[in-house]
Amino acid sequence: MNALSLWCLQLKVMFGKELRQLGRDRVLLAFIVYAFTVDIFLAASGVSLQLKLASTYVEDVDHSSASRELASRFLPPYFQLQGELASERAADAALSSGRAMLVLTVPAGFGEDLARGEPTHVQLQVDTSNAVLGFLAASYAEQIVARFGLETVDAGKTPLPVIENRTRVWFNPNQEDSWFMGISELLNVITIFSVLLPAAAAVREKERGTIEQLLVSPLTPLQILLPKVLSMTLVILAGTALALFGVLRPCFGVPMAGSVPAFFALTALYVFTSAGFGLLAATVARNLAQAGMLTILILAPMLFLSGAWTPPEAMPEWLAVFTHFSPLYYFINISFGLLLKGQTVAALWPSVLGMMALGMAAFAAGLLRFRRQFG
Amino acid sequence: MKMQRVQALAWKEWREIVRDRLFFALAFVVPALLMVLFGYGLSFDVENVPFALIDHDRTAQSRDYGYRFIGSRYFDFKGYAANEADAYDLIAGGEVRAVLVIPPGFGRDLAQGRPAQVQTLIDGTFPNRALTIRGYVGAINAERSLDSAANYLAARSGLPYADVRARLQPVTLEVRYLFNEAVLSIWSLAPKLIMLILMISPPFLTALGVVREKENGSIFNIYASDISRGEFLLGKLAPYVAISCVNSLLLWLMAVGLYRVPFKGDFAFFALASVVYVACTTGVGLVVSVLVRTQIAAMIVTMVITLIPAVLYSGLIIPVTSLSDAASFVAHAMPAMYYADIVVGCFLKGAGVAELWRPLLVLALYACALFAAGYALFSKRPAS
Repeated sequence: MNALSLWCLQLKVMFGKELRQLGRDRVLLAFIVYAFTVDIFLAASGVSLQLKLASTYVEDVDHSSASRELASRFLPPYFQLQGELASERAADAALSSGRAMLVLTVPAGFGEDLARGEPTHVQLQVDTSNAVLGFLAASYAEQIVARFGLETVDAGKTPLPVIENRTRVWFNPNQEDSWFMGISELLNVITIFSVLLPAAAAVREKERGTIEQLLVSPLTPLQILLPKVLSMTLVILAGTALALFGVLRPCFGVPMAGSVPAFFALTALYVFTSAGFGLLAATVARNLAQAGMLTILILAPMLFLSGAWTPPEAMPEWLAVFTHFSPLYYFINISFGLLLKGQTVAALWPSVLGMMALGMAAFAAGLLRFRRQFG
Repeated sequence: MKMQRVQALAWKEWREIVRDRLFFALAFVVPALLMVLFGYGLSFDVENVPFALIDHDRTAQSRDYGYRFIGSRYFDFKGYAANEADAYDLIAGGEVRAVLVIPPGFGRDLAQGRPAQVQTLIDGTFPNRALTIRGYVGAINAERSLDSAANYLAARSGLPYADVRARLQPVTLEVRYLFNEAVLSIWSLAPKLIMLILMISPPFLTALGVVREKENGSIFNIYASDISRGEFLLGKLAPYVAISCVNSLLLWLMAVGLYRVPFKGDFAFFALASVVYVACTTGVGLVVSVLVRTQIAAMIVTMVITLIPAVLYSGLIIPVTSLSDAASFVAHAMPAMYYADIVVGCFLKGAGVAELWRPLLVLALYACALFAAGYALFSKRPAS
């Protein structure tokens, strides 16, 4: 038997051991299946980031036909008129109790001013506890009021040289939140498992002392660590296939515009990369409790600062630099490129390269530390 | 239940934690570090949107229109593109998020008093960002459109421009932003970050507490001792609740000191609610710990039931009111949402017991339910 085939045999045996160990933990398996199916389904079906039926009240002091006309323009899908409020105090109460998100106040004399062609104003109070929705509500309201004003002035007169701006939204024409939420949730789940599972598998051996057995065997550190990552990669890829073909495509019609094999190949690469971070944490931690806190320290910033919620251009510069050290940042570009935009791998090579470089660095550092600890 | 036994177990647990120096340090470092990272990094203000311009018209009018966008603080001009194919590459490659296309004849149409058309291409990969960009484009366009109409009418009627402009816009909308007057997203963010971080970190502290003893076999000391189930769980939980209470105070200090979020409410009430909330979140970890057999499973289960829902269903990024029924059910089943109401109320709205006793009651019930679940699931005489 030559050296290479022996090496491969050793790897295979270790690979089998890792898979069996994973397969015997039923609770763990059940949660992996849950995360790749039910959890993704919930995220994709349940979450909408749009302003939907914002609860709107009107405090109409004027009681003219113009004021009623203006109020009636606050329509679904953005707004939902809930009724009238009698006084300012009622408006304050509705807003601070959270019953109303918006209160539109039409002052006395509004209709008359308008009829005489004099400038007038209305007031909108917006609950901006949620800043994004508050902004959206105010900007929609402004458009409604501007159109109302323009139409009152030149009802049926000559066409004016106005500018119409038609917006076309690419890659997700109807702004389906389910596509974005579903895919980003899948990426989150992949990330969590690919950092946590190999890290936990490595630390467990340290904590129990079984690592000593492996160290006295003829296995090299690479042969000890690699099978852990390989077996988890296999499980995660199976989960990803389940999520894509069992949930995202049939239930939500995610287009998968690009190459699916390429997506799986790059997912495998990503799992490898993140596993490198996990293993690095595993070399620092002495027991699983430490490993748990360390992986949170790695995972939470990776998930929240990946660019899915906050684009790098909106972060302070010192932090935007950090996003380039998050493999998820590259993987998001790759996944949305392949699944939604229909890009080719050739167009995505900067992201692929970035991810690969990070992964190799993390893996090499992990191996080095492992060697030093146990060499 | 004997307090002495609870105390003894809590003291043993506490010493175990303190002796693991890295773990003890991480228990405080992790929340603080997350607060700094998220506070600076999580911004929902869509600003400096990178965009490109295609000007097929090349007239004074089209240039002026383009400058309205170039000069806006919401947009970050990345240069002119030659044609739509270039625009596709730019958007697909993520270099710009929007491309403004001004067709030929734009200036001529406006000069002759006819409506003109332009097109904006927006990257829809991130739907909420696409919506906000659409809002900005609409606002800038409306402004410029009104200018153009007023110019035209002023030239035709001979009236002063300002009068015509005012007449075209008879109704102005005065918007008053409440509770977060400057629409600073850090003001609405920082209080909710306290909720988020106290949802992520405490369960992880606790999650391995019981299952570690199961895996190591030291649990048999407990099985063989005369400590009761309730005493055991309380003693296990106490040190972690204590650590998390210190952390919640730390996070509060960071919100007020570092991010300068005004605290308008009742501090005593806030402190009480925080204690109940961390009792809930550490309780989640404890129940997981009692339920599973291996530490790895405990870590994964905790991760899946806390970190993921904390992102989506806590009201941090997406308000609970815009969730679907199923997701809203998940949100209501988690303690995070109720505490979010309390922190936001205490910080920004100056609310107290009178307004917020209901979510506090829910949290208290939640803590009791968790404890009951842990009590029911934990057995001193395991089957196998």
